[in-house]
Amino acid sequence: MPRNLIRALGLAVLVATASTASAEETLRLRMNGDVNVLDPISTTNFTIRNASYLMFDTLFAMDETYKVQPQMAEGAEVSDDGLVYTITLRDGLKFHDGSEVTAEDAVVSIKRWGAVDGLGKILFSKTKSIEARDDKTFVITLSEPWGLVLDALGKISSNVPVIMPAEQAAQPASEAVNNPIGSGPYKLLPDEWVPGSVVVLEKFEDYVPRDEPASLAAGGKVAHFDRVEIQYIPDTATAINALIAGEIDWIEEVPADMLMFFDGVETAKTVAAKQSGNSAQLVVNHLNPPFDNPKIRHALQLAVEQTPFMQAAFGDATDTYLECAAVFFCDTTYATDVNTDRVLKREPEAAKKLLEEAGYDGTPVTILHVTDIASQDNFYSVLEPMLKDAGFNVDVQPTDWATVATRRASKESVENGGWNVFFTGWGFVDQSNPMTNVYVSGDCDNAWFGWACSERLQELRKQFAVATSDEEKKKLATEMQEITHDLVSYVPLGQAFPSVGIATDLKGYIDGPVPFFWNLERVN
Amino acid sequence: MLRYAAGRVLAGIPTLLLVSIFIFSLAHVTPGDPAVLLAGDNATPAQVEEIRSRLHLDLPLWQQFGIWLGDALQFDLGNSIYSGKPVTELIAQRIEPTLVLSLVTLVLTVLIAVPLGAISAWKANSIVDRISMGVAVAGFSIPVFVIAYLLVYFFAVKMRLFPVQGYKWLADGWLTTLNSVTLPSIALAFVFSALIARVTRASVLDALGENYIRTARAKGLGPSRILFIHALKSVGVPVVTVIGIGLATLVGGVVVTESVFNIPGIGRLTVDAVTRRDYPVIQGVILFFSASLILINLLVDLSYAFIDPRIRE
Repeated sequence: MPRNLIRALGLAVLVATASTASAEETLRLRMNGDVNVLDPISTTNFTIRNASYLMFDTLFAMDETYKVQPQMAEGAEVSDDGLVYTITLRDGLKFHDGSEVTAEDAVVSIKRWGAVDGLGKILFSKTKSIEARDDKTFVITLSEPWGLVLDALGKISSNVPVIMPAEQAAQPASEAVNNPIGSGPYKLLPDEWVPGSVVVLEKFEDYVPRDEPASLAAGGKVAHFDRVEIQYIPDTATAINALIAGEIDWIEEVPADMLMFFDGVETAKTVAAKQSGNSAQLVVNHLNPPFDNPKIRHALQLAVEQTPFMQAAFGDATDTYLECAAVFFCDTTYATDVNTDRVLKREPEAAKKLLEEAGYDGTPVTILHVTDIASQDNFYSVLEPMLKDAGFNVDVQPTDWATVATRRASKESVENGGWNVFFTGWGFVDQSNPMTNVYVSGDCDNAWFGWACSERLQELRKQFAVATSDEEKKKLATEMQEITHDLVSYVPLGQAFPSVGIATDLKGYIDGPVPFFWNLERVN
Repeated sequence: MLRYAAGRVLAGIPTLLLVSIFIFSLAHVTPGDPAVLLAGDNATPAQVEEIRSRLHLDLPLWQQFGIWLGDALQFDLGNSIYSGKPVTELIAQRIEPTLVLSLVTLVLTVLIAVPLGAISAWKANSIVDRISMGVAVAGFSIPVFVIAYLLVYFFAVKMRLFPVQGYKWLADGWLTTLNSVTLPSIALAFVFSALIARVTRASVLDALGENYIRTARAKGLGPSRILFIHALKSVGVPVVTVIGIGLATLVGGVVVTESVFNIPGIGRLTVDAVTRRDYPVIQGVILFFSASLILINLLVDLSYAFIDPRIRE
């Protein structure tokens, strides 16, 4: 190598070191996916949700006890008959373009959210009117009492009811807002945004945090960094190496088989995110044979068990997952083990017997084997022998996630582009709440993929929405689980607690079901 | 010469058209609907339908192709389904990293492979030859991502000499740019050099058996002068041809390398677009790659005339 080149490289190293020193106040994050839009109403994608929390604010927010607290709102007054909610905005709220946040902005934003979000749709089905009274106050008038109005407005996960300027929020929810303007602690720098590579935000100097200490999504959102870069690093091994080398500060998820990369490393560590647990599920299509027959769905429950799936995904890291058949997650308010026998035990012989009783004619179970998502790829490899062992005929079709994401929406027969089963996962916040858990809706044609149908479930959900006592809610949730496991809208495959990777010089990280980056600061 | 070049450029147009039709059909027959991916989990069929019609995905394929071709002729490659940005803007944003990476790789490769091949030929069948050709075969056989991870582990994580990932723009200073593409270029050059070193060796070996080399020896010229001035000069044409072909294979390597080193280049753009069924981007980048290859081939052909005076005549 010529001497000049060596000298140039050496110099380059010096320059690189110097630039790291000057970029001290930048927080660099690696989320699981790419931030292609910054509009959490246009999509339920969790990466977009996480990134959006940096730049948008919400009227209400959930604290660490999962109670809803005012955030942009000063508070809410509820009339005695429970029909009228008067919500006042707190002082000092500004959008990133410098304009004041008004009640009209809030009203239009909530309407946009209510057109797409599950809980939002329920709210609007019970809403007679929603109107701004003046610049600071707006009023929601219900047609019937509903105890979850503030819970809906303080919803922590997708779709998060964020507040945008009225003119942007007037756009249909199906179209993502192009140059979004928020009012949160960080402001988007659109010129530095390269989709598929990096999103840059800078501290919004005019943001006024609440006085209370930060508590999950609630409390004072204090921005300690001048700049936040959300880098899209598709390769996980590269992201981990970059974290260890100090080039980035946080990784949303470190796969179990890569936890060992952190052994003996001083610059970064992993934290098992207990609160951000998620669960794996096998979703069952009720419209197509053989699973249009309830007995054959029960045979499916008996054909599988959870541990092999968890081992396939997490290997030896046994402290990162647990067997759990509770529809509303284990270790939560509505957790119960009612009607879980068939779900947790694998009994191939009993499954065969059920198939015989049901008159199973050998219709193959078409498995769309997703090969481009590692954990899912492993799941399919476990599923196939289990099904065969229980007497099912199986037709495996290797494909990619994009195909499955399209095909799962089809209600057609398998030959015409439909499906039988696919794997997916839901997070703790979405699944632990009977109002947002997609598997307990029983909504037939309007239900989530799989289209499980149960009038009783629909009825129970309605009752839950207006239930007031904890005891009553728990009773309703328990019955929901009982019916769901009889109906088999899905087969639960276990609950997991992925680890985040974080630089050791950061303090104030909030361990929650959604990652938040205010309150976080670097200690030198 | 100018007429020849213009002819070659014109001959490239039908090629581009054929490539466009082929890629368009291929992208559209692959299962997976971008509208569904875009709409997200909670979308209703009506919302998906609305997106489909907004993106013209509900029209017959030939009409969609017609619309695309008409726009492409006016240098409008449409907007990305995924990010909503113009495809031309996305490609323009990504050209610099890929171009810098390819050029640095090319320079490194020529600096390594040509002398290596020439020395191997000079010392044919000696231990030097076997070792260097062994390294060449290894370079060709080991997947580029394995080399990439090894380089990262030793030079970035352990020795902290280079960054693990990312690209620094030329606007921030060319030295930092060079620093950020050093490891990916070495990884790519390792593979690329193998091919060129082997061809250089074979061609030089042939040349060394020629009469004019014997004459040079008889005149008493030193070995390095014979090798680098006389023998190497005459093997320019095959070596440049292989470099041209190699640049095409480099495109494949760039895709992997850009992913491993997180370089926001055109390779990454391609992979991401395919996984998202982002048809306008897929069509745009393939068209761009095809046009680049036609250009490279043209440059290679034109360079023959400069390398070999006999062709000029």
